Amino acid sequence: MLLDFDKLGVLRGFLVGLTMLVCLFLILPIVFIAALSFGSSQWLIFPPPSWTFKWYEELFADSRWFYSALTSLKIAAIVTVFSVIIGFLAALGLNRGRFLGRDILRALFLTPMILPVVVLAVALYAVFLRLGLAGTTFAFVIAHLLIALPFSIISIGNALEGFDRSIEDAAILCGANPWEARLRVTVPAISHGIFGAAVFSFLASWDEVVLAIFMASPTLQTLPVKIWSTLRQDLTPVIAAASTLLIAFTILLMVLAALFRKGKKS
Amino acid sequence: MTQAFLSIRGIRKVYGPVTAVENVTMDIGEGEFMTFLGPSGSGKSTTLYILAGFQDPSDGDILLRGKSILATPSHKRSIGMVFQRYTLFPHLSVGENVAFPLRIRRRPQTEIAERVKAALKLVRLEGFEDRKPALLSGGQQQRVALARALVYNPPVLLMDEPLSALDKKLREEIQFEIRRIHQETGVTILYVTHDQEEALRLSDRIAVFSQGEIDQIGTGPELYANPTTRFVAGFIGDSNFIDADVVASSAGKAQLSLPGGVVVDGVPLHGKVAKGRASLLLRPERIELEAGTLVGQLTGTVRDITFLGNNIHVMVEPSGIAPISVRLPFGHSALSGLSPGTKVSMSFNPADSHAFC
Amino acid sequence: MAMTATAEGMRRKRAFVGARGGSFGYLLPALVLVVIFFIVPVLMLLMRSVLEPEPGLQNYKALLGSTTYLRIFLNTFLVAGVVTIISIVIGYPVAWLLAIMPEKWSRLVLAIIILSMWTNLLTRTYAWMVLLQRTGVINKTLMGLGLIDQPLPLVNNLVGVTIGMTYIMLPFVILPLMGVIRAIDPAILRAAALCGATSMQCFTRVLLPLSLPGIAAGALMVFVMSLGYFVTPALLGGTSNMMLAELVAQFVQSLVNWGMGGAAAFVLLVVTLTLYAVQLRYFNPNKAR
Repeated sequence: MLLDFDKLGVLRGFLVGLTMLVCLFLILPIVFIAALSFGSSQWLIFPPPSWTFKWYEELFADSRWFYSALTSLKIAAIVTVFSVIIGFLAALGLNRGRFLGRDILRALFLTPMILPVVVLAVALYAVFLRLGLAGTTFAFVIAHLLIALPFSIISIGNALEGFDRSIEDAAILCGANPWEARLRVTVPAISHGIFGAAVFSFLASWDEVVLAIFMASPTLQTLPVKIWSTLRQDLTPVIAAASTLLIAFTILLMVLAALFRKGKKS
Repeated sequence: MTQAFLSIRGIRKVYGPVTAVENVTMDIGEGEFMTFLGPSGSGKSTTLYILAGFQDPSDGDILLRGKSILATPSHKRSIGMVFQRYTLFPHLSVGENVAFPLRIRRRPQTEIAERVKAALKLVRLEGFEDRKPALLSGGQQQRVALARALVYNPPVLLMDEPLSALDKKLREEIQFEIRRIHQETGVTILYVTHDQEEALRLSDRIAVFSQGEIDQIGTGPELYANPTTRFVAGFIGDSNFIDADVVASSAGKAQLSLPGGVVVDGVPLHGKVAKGRASLLLRPERIELEAGTLVGQLTGTVRDITFLGNNIHVMVEPSGIAPISVRLPFGHSALSGLSPGTKVSMSFNPADSHAFC
Repeated sequence: MAMTATAEGMRRKRAFVGARGGSFGYLLPALVLVVIFFIVPVLMLLMRSVLEPEPGLQNYKALLGSTTYLRIFLNTFLVAGVVTIISIVIGYPVAWLLAIMPEKWSRLVLAIIILSMWTNLLTRTYAWMVLLQRTGVINKTLMGLGLIDQPLPLVNNLVGVTIGMTYIMLPFVILPLMGVIRAIDPAILRAAALCGATSMQCFTRVLLPLSLPGIAAGALMVFVMSLGYFVTPALLGGTSNMMLAELVAQFVQSLVNWGMGGAAAFVLLVVTLTLYAVQLRYFNPNKAR
């Protein structure tokens, strides 16, 4: 009976109540920040004495915020492209390979995702310092690529598992050379996996904080780095405004993802 | 000697310690329908995949019109293939699926449209150009796969158990279609199946595979009437096997001693050695039954009589050996005296049976 | 046979680059990336930890010998442990409900959880920095309700870190556990009830044991993540309550002491890998030998 929703009795009330509290717990801070971004108090007093847009004005007026956002976008875009391409090749090799050590290699590729990022950040920082590449876009992209790649490999790998390889073989027999067959037949067939790889790679880079802190320089900052350095100084509501915009962006992505999934099903 | 159209010579495929295929050799004529028949794991699909170019053989060669095709990669061999699983491209319509090989070959659009239409007409799916594969039934999908495989007029068409995923009635319908298409196009077909009925229905010749080697190649009637190995005898048609001893042999015929003291003479003998224990093949429909125990004949007790429509199945239990199946046509005179428990004698023409050492 | 030579030659050529995409060559770009920019740098960091300022293990001795640093290790493990326990205790009932509630509602709850997960980490941490401050909403509400006289110090200490980390880790417990509980056939629980077990007994003797692998996996994941977390502890903990990740960063960025930084990083790495190895060995059913 414990797994039948209707038969839980008193327990159900408890579970529902707790879940509601947890939902509130999870969502209130987000709502709170959004509300505060329109509040006039500089010390983030809640409820605010009055409502205002001035933090947003300050945000948009400061060109450094805009440039950091642009940098985030640029790096995320580059990372996405490379992550999908390299991830596609790796997923293919892992999915179809019959060589020794395949499982070890798969675990190896996924490792950057599960180890503490600070270790990777510090190690990479040291290497790039030595090579004189610290603070370059190249270093930034490499760092983010390392943590985006596992998402790509997993997403495309899963799609490949569900794909019947005979379809690709059939295309080859029809006369397409192996890469033609892959691009014209396999890629469209696993497009949801590739799309997922792109989205996750993009978000992994866009949201990434720790690596970004170590890869950044005064002239090269992503949005999270800008927020971080501002936060270290004070809690100005401008951050609330930037955060609210990010939240809106996230919600937009979630809605798009849901619509995309619905579109695919129908 | 005229060159065979398609010549498979000494193909061998080894995976580490396992030999999947050994010494596969045959010559196939142009326009012939050759079936590879055998149980799963017998090497028939492996051989087909080597032909398609998806596997490289460990040894041997394949010649098409006298030229080796081993060095040619799969996509240049211009061979058509229909797989066991549905392999239509899910993101393309039926028409685009069939057009695919022609688009790869950069044929002009008008030619493509014409040939696609003709191909779909051949498999009796005219007008299906705009449908999506996901909406088609299994039988329809395989027919589109067939159209796609034939649209570029390949010299050879390979078919790897294409009907095994379909139900029986549908299978028979499409078998008929395949036969018709073979006759209309005259394409050389290599067909893989484990279903002997399917093989008999479709093929000009059958190659029986067992454990990676070919036991025998021949037409259906040849394999049925003159099997050269015990495996072929058991695989094609119904069979009874009786353990017997070879008393004497000469010129390919043997004298056998059966359990119960029965001696049979003039049985065709197959096998490397012509002495010792042999397995005697008796086809159920070649056994005559007579009520009563007659001297010099195999005797037994009737166990069971089953009506199967156009024939009656009688199960006879001789003492000391496994039960023997006998098939008598409906209305046979011998049936009137038979019922479970009756003692009967079985006789047969030795020339119709075979013994395997 | 001359033909064999061709067949053999073709096979060797294809084995590497792979006409059908099944071979090693396809993995090269990813492999090169991971080896050059992951394995090598980490190894180099390890080297530095035993070579700077002089060859030897002094850095590790200093790290594991000093009370200051040991306190940081202790704090890190303590916080990670508390966060894990609270997350499991709160997360289990939620996962349970999610696994069995009607789809309409579960979709809403899931949307909330996913929104929380996808929201930028800094945003979420910032929210707690604001909420937990002396003049923040939490203190104000508690004072307004008469529960306390003085504002509680909830931020710039380990309490704030724990609250913030729990907030972030909860979804990581709830989602996998939901999957595990969903996979349990309700008929098993019904059978237990029919056998005469009370609700409590059904829970302790059937549901809990069956969901234990999920709990173990979730707990381990949260614990490991919490150990290595940087952002939230740094922002909510203040400078006097460092955790291990921030210690590493401080060694490298502020103190430019690569030897100690490398050592601290390596300790963190070893602990993480050990915990994963333990999980693989004892809790992973796939690898059961």
